[in-house]
Amino acid sequence: MNCQRLKGWFEERYDIEALGALVRSKTVPSHRFDAWYFAGGLTLFLFVFQFITGMALALYYVPHAEHAHKSIIDIVTKLNMGWLFRSLHHWGAQLAILVLFIHVFSTLLLKAYRKPRELVWFTGFIMLAISIFFGLSGYFLLWDERAFAAVRVATGGAGNLPLVGWLIKGFLRGGLDVTGETLTRFYAFHVAILPLVTIAITGFHILLVQLHGISVPLSQEKRQGKPEPFFPNIFYRDLIVWLVCLGVVVTLAVVFPPEIGRKADPLAPAPENIKPEWYFLFLFQTLKLFPGEMLGMNGETIAIVIISAAILFFFLIPFFDRRSASGHRSPLFTWIGIFYLVYFTAMTIIGFLT
Amino acid sequence: MKLDYSVVTRRAFLNTLFGGWVLAVTSGILYALIRFIFPTLGKEPDFVVLKKADFEGIPANSVKPFAWGGKLGLYFKKQDGTVQALKGVCTHMDCNISYKPDEKKFYCACHEGWFDENGRNIKGPPPKPLEVFDITTEGDKLIIAKRGVKVELPKA
Amino acid sequence: MSHPVLVVLFFLIQATALFAEEPKVEVFAAAPYDRHIIYQALVFFWVGIIGLIIIITMKLREIKRIQNMGIDKEEKDAPFLD
Repeated sequence: MNCQRLKGWFEERYDIEALGALVRSKTVPSHRFDAWYFAGGLTLFLFVFQFITGMALALYYVPHAEHAHKSIIDIVTKLNMGWLFRSLHHWGAQLAILVLFIHVFSTLLLKAYRKPRELVWFTGFIMLAISIFFGLSGYFLLWDERAFAAVRVATGGAGNLPLVGWLIKGFLRGGLDVTGETLTRFYAFHVAILPLVTIAITGFHILLVQLHGISVPLSQEKRQGKPEPFFPNIFYRDLIVWLVCLGVVVTLAVVFPPEIGRKADPLAPAPENIKPEWYFLFLFQTLKLFPGEMLGMNGETIAIVIISAAILFFFLIPFFDRRSASGHRSPLFTWIGIFYLVYFTAMTIIGFLT
Repeated sequence: MKLDYSVVTRRAFLNTLFGGWVLAVTSGILYALIRFIFPTLGKEPDFVVLKKADFEGIPANSVKPFAWGGKLGLYFKKQDGTVQALKGVCTHMDCNISYKPDEKKFYCACHEGWFDENGRNIKGPPPKPLEVFDITTEGDKLIIAKRGVKVELPKA
Repeated sequence: MSHPVLVVLFFLIQATALFAEEPKVEVFAAAPYDRHIIYQALVFFWVGIIGLIIIITMKLREIKRIQNMGIDKEEKDAPFLD
């Protein structure tokens, strides 16, 4: 294989020199918190991993209420290493969302959202919402008792949003109740709509990061070391982090393959101790905090309004944090960030334990 | 014997080691992926288990189809009562064949190929006889197996 | 007279309950032979990953060495040896 001639073929047609120079010019800041920079790339790696394992599974999965559950049982019991790919996809999803939260909270606490990077934060938030929906829709495709009940509760909860709740609920369910129509819809979201939207927004998100450069926390701006060149230094370190993560996912997949519950029955009551996926637990614990009736209004509606307000605040934080926008230290918002993190973690753990 | 100069440069050594190892790991992963997405391409079962009661009672000089993996199998009771099982797939271009009781021959409509009672190709383009299976019974089960395959049913 | 009838009925009900029980789906190989093959494959996989990480660390050390010497940039107009 003649690398020189191949390189020459491309160089005659494209400006490889300029491209190489551009790639080699990218640097990554060096400072006390630069380890957190790996979280973004790792999220991307895990989502690519999900795309690959997902595409493989989609070759065999049948998205019809009658056959969905059986098709997964067939994949797991009859295909070569079918159990492995399903398990990989399950654990890849868990890790992808976990690493995503790590990425979100680290950018929140390091205030990477401040001016001029507000759009990076907004596109990131949209991707967070999409990823949660990825998780919900994917989980539903199993069409077992737990998944069915979980989606009933989740879409029912969305229906309690003031003003637009009924519209969102009807749109997600494809009708008044969770049925085979919902399965078709969620399948369309999970394998077509969400992947394409994700690719578009992720592309934009990464492009913005390239344009702005990577954000340096305010406290470290004057304390940076020499910037590391992205290629080859950071590239190889990224690779190591990705390889370790891959090892973790594969090991979890082999040692803890997920169960397949009983096929969903729309007429049966919800199974005992039904719990949503772990990344929803904090929402449901919060709902439990509110009594049935408060100040003469439906307690659940109030809870949902408060939760929505908190999420909206989270979304718009670049606009609320005026101090960091002007380049000043903003300890109030550091505490707000810590509050969000602690609340999320604590509620998730409590939801897990009860 | 100590060499004065290194046989390869550090760069070449490291890059070859890296490239080689990446190739090994990637091909291992790709192998798993490919085995998954090409599941049982062309693979047929070694044997199938049927219910004896469904097949033994068919009239003489008739066939009853059964599933041989994804292909057609034919349980054939001849005029004299002896039974045979064969693959109902024409050896010419893999069309499904049918049995003509009047002529006591198997017929393939795709290119007008004919096989006799024993599966031998007698007329038309088919180059080989039909594949014949071994029949055994175990209790209430009828086992159709590929010629020469030792069948061991799992203890239920 | 009713006692043996009840006993028979009891066993019949137990038998039907057996059918009502869903057989657990095997999400992992049941046979020990297959299990050992899977764990062996996992070990080989980790050998591959860790080996790769070691080689990458070797590369990174070399890169640091070269960069510290300042010889990592390729001169654009260096003449070819031929």
